Amino acid sequence: MRITFPHIGNVYIAVKAMLDPLGVDYVVPPKCNKRTLSLATKYSPEGVCIPFKLNLGNMIEAVELGADHILNVTGHGTCRMGYYFKVQEQILRDMGYDVKMMLTGLSENKLRGFLNLLRTVSNNAPWRKILSSFAFGISKMTALDDMEILANNMRAFEKNKGTITPIYRKSIQAIDDAADYRSLKRAVKEYGEKMSSVDVLEGHKPLKILVVGEIYVVLDPYANMDVEMELGKLGVVTNRSLYLSRWIKKGLFFNPLGIDQWRDVHKAAMPYLKRDIGGDGWETVGEKVISTGRYDGMVHLAPFTCMPEGSAQCIMPSTKEDLPVLAIYCDEQTSKAGMITRLEAFTDMISMKKAAVLSR
Amino acid sequence: MGKKVFLGIDVGSVTTKCALMDDNMQLIAHRYIPTSGKPIIQIQSLMREISSEIPTGCEIGGAGTTGSARYLAGEIVAADVIKNEITAHAVAATHFYPDVRTILEIGGQDSKIIIIRNGVVTDFGMNTVCAAGTGSFLDHQALRLGISINEFAREAMKSKNPVRIAGRCTVFAESDMIHKQQMGHSTPDILYGLCQALVRNYINNVGLGKTIEKPIIFQGGVAFNQAIVRAFEEELQTEIMVPKHHEIMGAIGAAIIAWENYNATGKKTHFKGFEISDINYETSSFTCQGCPNQCEIAQLKRGDKVMARWGGRCEKWEYISNTKESPEDAAVTG
Repeated sequence: MRITFPHIGNVYIAVKAMLDPLGVDYVVPPKCNKRTLSLATKYSPEGVCIPFKLNLGNMIEAVELGADHILNVTGHGTCRMGYYFKVQEQILRDMGYDVKMMLTGLSENKLRGFLNLLRTVSNNAPWRKILSSFAFGISKMTALDDMEILANNMRAFEKNKGTITPIYRKSIQAIDDAADYRSLKRAVKEYGEKMSSVDVLEGHKPLKILVVGEIYVVLDPYANMDVEMELGKLGVVTNRSLYLSRWIKKGLFFNPLGIDQWRDVHKAAMPYLKRDIGGDGWETVGEKVISTGRYDGMVHLAPFTCMPEGSAQCIMPSTKEDLPVLAIYCDEQTSKAGMITRLEAFTDMISMKKAAVLSR
Repeated sequence: MGKKVFLGIDVGSVTTKCALMDDNMQLIAHRYIPTSGKPIIQIQSLMREISSEIPTGCEIGGAGTTGSARYLAGEIVAADVIKNEITAHAVAATHFYPDVRTILEIGGQDSKIIIIRNGVVTDFGMNTVCAAGTGSFLDHQALRLGISINEFAREAMKSKNPVRIAGRCTVFAESDMIHKQQMGHSTPDILYGLCQALVRNYINNVGLGKTIEKPIIFQGGVAFNQAIVRAFEEELQTEIMVPKHHEIMGAIGAAIIAWENYNATGKKTHFKGFEISDINYETSSFTCQGCPNQCEIAQLKRGDKVMARWGGRCEKWEYISNTKESPEDAAVTG
C-alpha cells in the first residue's frame, strides 16, 4: 500500500509530518505545475471547478509514481466537492489505474474519523503513537501558517523588493525538513527573525486587505496565482479569513461542545443570507459584514463555475456595510497580467477613496 | 527653464496612443496608431512624431504609461509613473467631466465599467474570461461580412428591424449571425442586432451588480461606432456622452497622473523617450528550468544590458539587481 494526497497549498507538509513517525509508505505528487494542469484539464469534466482539476492532476502524477491509495478530502457539505472523490476514482479507473480512495469525511466523522484513518494506514499503530504524530502534524501546520502570516505582513514593508519571498520559501523547506519539535522550533525562530529583520520602508502606511472565499483557492497559491504575494508587492498587508491550523484548533475545541465555530461570521451574515449555501459562501458574506471598518478592502477568491461563491458575490453588493470587494475567479489561466491590473486598480481605488475622505 | 509639458502613452493590445498636455492640462497634440503586434517599434515611431509637436521653449516635465504593455513602455521611455488602465481612464474622465458617475469603456481586447461617486472611483468591473463585445470581435465580424469597420456603423444605423443575436459568447454570436444571414435578413439588421447583443452582454457581465447612473460617458476605440452608442442609449434609456478624444482617454489619464506626480514630488523627470528612437531594443524569451513550472520569461535588452524581465510566477527573475545567475546557467535560451 502506497499512499498519496493532494497538495492544497502547504497542507501536504503537515500530512507528511503525521505519516512519517507512523512509518507509512507514501509519495508526494510533484508540486502543481503546467503538466499537472494539462493532465487535470484533459481528464476532468470541462465545467468542473479548479479544485477538482488540480486535485485530480496531483492524483494522476502521484499514481504514476506508484501510489495506489489516495487520501481525499471529502465531506457532505452542500457543495459538490463532497462527491468529487467518486468521480475522480472513476476517472482514474478509466485511465487504467486501480486505486482506492480513503476518505477523510470530516463533516460526518469529525476528528475521530480522521484518527481512525491514520490508524488504518499505519497498520493499526498504537493510539499513543497516532495521537502524537497527529499533534506533530498540527504543530507543523501552525508553524507554516505563522510563517505565511509573517511573510504576508512583512512583504508590504520590504525596502528592497523581493527579499521576503525567498526567505519565506526557505522557511517552508526548513519546516518540512524538521524531524522533531526541537528542529521545528529552531526553524521557526531562525526564519522568523530573518523576516523580521529585513530593511523596511520608513513611514509606510500600508492598506490592509482580507482575502476570503472558497477554501481550496484561498489556501493554494498555485490556484490563486499568488494573489497575496502580488498584493504584498503593491505594498499591501494581507490577512485571510481562514488558516487551516486555526480552523482545526477551533474545531477541536468547539465541535465536541456542539458549538458552531463560525458563529460570529454566520450571525453577521444573517440579515443577508440565512443558511449555508455550500462551499464557503455563507462565511464569505459574513466576513464582509464583520470586516467592514477593520480592513480597507476584501479580495474574494472563487473557482470559476462555483455556485456558492457566485451566489455570495451577487449578495454582497446589497449589504449596508460598505467594504470594497474585488472578485477574482480562479481557473486554468496562468497569466497573471489581468489579475495584476485589477489588483493595482483596486488598491488605487481604495487609496483614492481614503484620501477623499480625509480631505473632506 | 521653459514651460513644462506632460506626456501620456497608452499601449493597448490593438492600438498605441499618446497624448501631450500643457501644464494647465490642455491637450496640445495626440497620436493614435495600430500596435500591429510590434509595441516597441510603434512606441519609437510615436516618440519621433510627438517630439516635433512640443511647442518651442517647452520641455517634458513628466511622462506616464498605461495599457497592457505599460511596463514595457515604461521601461523603454523611462516613465516617471506606470499606471493601470482603469485608474488612467477614471482620472481622464473626471478631469473633463467632474460630475461623471459611470464610465463605459470598450477597447480592443477588454471592456470595463467604472463607477464614480463624488469624483472618486467606488467600484469597477472588467470582462473576465470572454472577449465578446470588444473591438476585436467587431473587427472580425465586419471583415467576415466584407465591410470595413468604418462602414460598420453607417450600415448598422440603417437598420429598421434588428434581428436577435445571442451575445453571451462570440462563438454563439457568430453561429447565430451566420444562420440569420443565410435566412436572408439584411446586413444592416444583422449588424445592429449584433450591436444590441454586445451591449446586452456588456451590461449583464461587465456591469453585473453595478448601479449605472447618469451622467454616463462612453470611451475607448469602440465609441467611434455610432451604432453601439445608439444601442447603449436604447438599452439604458438615457443619454450617453462620448468625449471628443474618447480613443485616447487612457493616454490623457497617464499624462494627468504624470503631472500630478510632478506637482506632488517636484522631481525632475527620468524621461528619455526622444533619445530612444534609433536605439535597437531586443526582446527575447527563455524557459526557466528552476522548477517544474517552466515559466516563459520575456526579457528586454538594450545592447548587452538587460533592462527588464517579465512572466515568472515567482520573483526569481523579476528584480534585475537581485538576479545573480544568468539565464544561461539555469535555462535554455529561445
